Amino acid sequence: MPIYAPTLPPAPDLSLGQPPALVLMRFDFARLWRQKIGRFFGFAFLFLLLWKVARIYIDFLLQTNQTFKPMQQWANAILTQGAAFQADLLNPASYLLWFLVALVGGGLVARDTLYRVRPLMYAHPVAPKDYLLAKLGFASALPFGILLPFALLPWAMSLVLAGAHGPVWVTAPLRLLPAMAISSLLMGSLAVGASSMAATPRAGIGWVLGLVLGAGTLASMIHGLTGLKAIDGLNPVMLAEAWPQLLVGVDKPLVAWVPALLGTAFHIGLWTWVAARRTRPSEAVI
Amino acid sequence: MISLDRASLRYGPILGLSPTTFELPDGGGITGLLGPNGAGKSSLLQLLSGLLPPSGGEVRIFGEAPFRNPAVLARLGLVPEGDRLPTGLRADRWLRMMGELAGLSGEALRAATAQALETVGMADRAHLTFARMSKGMRQRIRLAQALMHGPELLILDEPFNGLDPEARLNLMALLRDLAGQGTRILVSSHILGEIAQLTDRILLLFRGRLLAEGSVTEIRQLLDRHPVELRLTGEAQALARWAVEQPELAALRMEEGSIVISVRSPRDILPRLQKAAAQGGIPLRALDPLDLNLDAVFQYLTKDHA
Repeated sequence: MPIYAPTLPPAPDLSLGQPPALVLMRFDFARLWRQKIGRFFGFAFLFLLLWKVARIYIDFLLQTNQTFKPMQQWANAILTQGAAFQADLLNPASYLLWFLVALVGGGLVARDTLYRVRPLMYAHPVAPKDYLLAKLGFASALPFGILLPFALLPWAMSLVLAGAHGPVWVTAPLRLLPAMAISSLLMGSLAVGASSMAATPRAGIGWVLGLVLGAGTLASMIHGLTGLKAIDGLNPVMLAEAWPQLLVGVDKPLVAWVPALLGTAFHIGLWTWVAARRTRPSEAVI
Repeated sequence: MISLDRASLRYGPILGLSPTTFELPDGGGITGLLGPNGAGKSSLLQLLSGLLPPSGGEVRIFGEAPFRNPAVLARLGLVPEGDRLPTGLRADRWLRMMGELAGLSGEALRAATAQALETVGMADRAHLTFARMSKGMRQRIRLAQALMHGPELLILDEPFNGLDPEARLNLMALLRDLAGQGTRILVSSHILGEIAQLTDRILLLFRGRLLAEGSVTEIRQLLDRHPVELRLTGEAQALARWAVEQPELAALRMEEGSIVISVRSPRDILPRLQKAAAQGGIPLRALDPLDLNLDAVFQYLTKDHA
């Protein structure tokens, strides 16, 4: 009887899976969802959102209910319909959002560095650009996802209650959504770049907070010493708050258009480049 | 299956792997990559697993260059050195993600996960977090992630490090099973004994150079061309009298309560020594081979190359 060489069983079909970047983003999201930190921040942001929505409803009551007629003048003063009010919808405790991005984003790349996961990933059909895209995508989608109800829910409620005359402009989402996208990308790229320089998730959190606060402090110092307001374009916190103001047309935004464009491009470019350099296969050797 | 043609790897000014040429044939089997720390084993594995491109020469796996080549990467599995995995993570969730990264989904993913866990004997413990797993269990999970997509080539970097003897034997048995089923396995180690127990074919690396390639027996026979030092403990005078009568003796040194002999062919003299001691012909209390280890092999080989 002939003896045959052993043969491998048929390989499973490897062509049905999702793009690697999407797989990694889903994995990071699921991990965040299971953590207590997600619940804490979920509750905190929900509280802030309810407050924003309640303001719209109170405004509606003040405008329509005769009982509150005497208070209308006061209500008009505090519930303005100007550009600043629209922009303020996207500033739900800006530092809280930055803190969340630091806590979650700081560990995104650093955790994989600590546990030497990237060699395993790159030994699969995962390109470094897939990995970077996943991390940047998740770190940017997180603040975007949190800001989304802050832009849409008050707008929808205002539209339902008062139509075109509500406190939130009918066209507000057209201005707020691009502002959210830019601010979120700024936050995400900074978090991923900082995380890629850290060896542990905790160090990553420190890097993010250090960069955010450090850049802000540096910009403030130079501003104070030279009187050059444009230097505020280096401050990531001010940039994130300035974009909604710029796009809805606030009279005196925190940062003017040119410094905001330059500063945002600088931060996104620099930190994406750092992350790309630090997540190359040669940086993830076994 | 694997073909290196003067492939080298540099880390800036440091040469990690000198130009190396060898081939491994298609089909199952285990090849041991042997060498001390810093020999270039990991460099070679990085080239083979497509993590780094060669600085010079050519690396081909399944006829193609592996670096950033999804067609090659989909056909190989890598188990890197170490056992660090995200502590709070459940093994089954981790495996699912790695399977998805390999391109599996749906029912195929579930079946592949179950099959890989079954193969490594972790089917009933995959729900545990990595923090609650022993080192051996984590190593099995790492092996499972490399097996999920049915690789034809499995690369393991120092898989036995830190494992207790039982876990080591279990892992060896598992690798032999996989090789018997047709998987080509390349396993690196710096311990000759581990590789000798496991494999029929060895690549010997030293200081970034491929020194020898062949079976365990062939490598060990290199020792026979060099005098092997044995320490015989007992009554020194009587032991020396017996030793000088042996034709394989190359040198003899007296020590207090023992003698050290250098013999050209230990395979021939050892049975006679055993017989003489058993019959009470010589007062032998202990026998210690002084240079039957990997370091000695390396020293002899490097001398030969010089």
